[in-house]
Amino acid sequence: MPFLPCWGLPGSGKTTCLRLISGFERPTSGEIRIFDKVFNEVPPNRRPVNTVFQDYALFPHLDVRDNVAYGPMVRGIGRQQRHAEADRMLELVKLGGLGRRSPAQLSGGQRQRVALARALINKPRVLLLDEPLGALDLKLREQMQEELKSLQETVGITFVFVTHDQGEALSMSDYIAVINNGRVVQYGSPQQVYDLPRTRFVAGFVGSSNLVPPELSEQVGAASRWHSLRPETISLVAAERAQISGRLHSVRYLGSMQRVQVRVGVHSIDAVLPASIQLPEHGSRIHLGWPGNALNPLEDDA
Amino acid sequence: MRFDDRPSATLRVAVIGGLLFLHLPILLIFLYAFTTEDKSYEFPPPGLTLRWFAVTWNRPDVWEALELSLKVAAVSSLIALVLGTLCAAAVSRSRFFGRESISLLVILPIALPGIITGISLRSAFNLFDIPFSTLTIILGHATFCVVVVYNNAIARFRRLSGSIIEASMDLGADGFQTFRYVIVPNIATALLAGGMLAFALSFDEVIVTTFTAGQQQTLPIWMLEELVRPRQRPVTNVVAMVVVAVTFMPILGAYYLTAEKVARR
Repeated sequence: MPFLPCWGLPGSGKTTCLRLISGFERPTSGEIRIFDKVFNEVPPNRRPVNTVFQDYALFPHLDVRDNVAYGPMVRGIGRQQRHAEADRMLELVKLGGLGRRSPAQLSGGQRQRVALARALINKPRVLLLDEPLGALDLKLREQMQEELKSLQETVGITFVFVTHDQGEALSMSDYIAVINNGRVVQYGSPQQVYDLPRTRFVAGFVGSSNLVPPELSEQVGAASRWHSLRPETISLVAAERAQISGRLHSVRYLGSMQRVQVRVGVHSIDAVLPASIQLPEHGSRIHLGWPGNALNPLEDDA
Repeated sequence: MRFDDRPSATLRVAVIGGLLFLHLPILLIFLYAFTTEDKSYEFPPPGLTLRWFAVTWNRPDVWEALELSLKVAAVSSLIALVLGTLCAAAVSRSRFFGRESISLLVILPIALPGIITGISLRSAFNLFDIPFSTLTIILGHATFCVVVVYNNAIARFRRLSGSIIEASMDLGADGFQTFRYVIVPNIATALLAGGMLAFALSFDEVIVTTFTAGQQQTLPIWMLEELVRPRQRPVTNVVAMVVVAVTFMPILGAYYLTAEKVARR
């Protein structure tokens, strides 16, 4: 049961992507397939898909329980049964006992969980989440990330999760689609995306990769094109085994690691080294090496 | 140091004077409903009596006028509720060519002097050979009733978050269910307030009615005619009290409906 984050800069087309799946936008061309069935002509209310909206979109005139029971209600399920179901869902998202509150009386995190319960009660095959954690503060966000992930494992449905936070995307997902200018630039497991970014955009976006320009690539004996190089694959080596040498420019202490910036001509390369390694004086010449496959060739961005 | 925020004595006197000036004449109207003198309005009244209430009760022309007024107010508010709500929904929920102009055109009748609305409606009805009847009065009243409902509804629609409508669709509701379970509950008080104001406006309308009525008389028109002849004058005053009551209640109701909403926020 995959957890698929779509992930891109604001305005890159992530939300549009969700609205295409949920049916609020129509594709100008191509097909929307959900589990191999084409859904282009099916309106939102008849798709096996539910959405957790960015602003949660709870109904202000209904209490929490009736919000959650809304889906069963429009399907014609009796009051008693749908309220029982709603209470069960509220237990699942750890809001048991808050059913009689009005949405206005809840905190941001609680509202989000109500929105989640309201979507999940319909047993969708796909759950869409539109930056659902964007409005929460950092601590609450981390807590909700964990809860979402474990919930997703409990209920076993596909979550499509839109975010512009790379950490969130990497830590929560089974597959990632990186979106730029409305196109999926790369699709794969978090590890694939992290280790082998396909384009400069992906490499620049997935955290802290070194972007090696063509002229520097030539210097180290690789093809004359852009490459990405993860800082943690780089190590200090003896001068005769160095792939590249430069001047030590700055050191940032990160606890168990240290982040070292090395100037090579006009370019600079970052390396993350264990904190135990003794470094020479700033400005002195140091030599860097990496395993043969660490230099990852990049395609040009479309 | 604090500013003294209590009003000065002069300000108090001015406020009380202003309020008296506004409302004393209305009280006078009420007073004359009890006078024993029926030819002219004499102050102070030579004597007080309740007999004009009985006289009014037994005048069939009063009942006819009251019935017509209630009918016209009810039907034109109903038309206004349907058209005003639909129009507000269209203008606030979708983008289309001429949207701003439609908004302006809908509001225009309340800005136009009633006499212009009246004259233009009269000539239009003449032009199309529509006989003046209850129907034409209702149409005339609907022009300004729609505005009141529209204004109330559009304010509420603008506050309504668009995503709760999408949320409803997303959760499996069709268009009708969304309207019934999400849109109506969220705009109901605004519609009720708009409808009540429209009713009150229609109930005491004179100018447009003068131009769009045939032989029939609404209550305000009946009063106008009645003032001219010096016979059983206090009957008019009794009717005036009824008109004040009937128009004041819905306005008060509308006020509380909208005020309650503000307090809850």
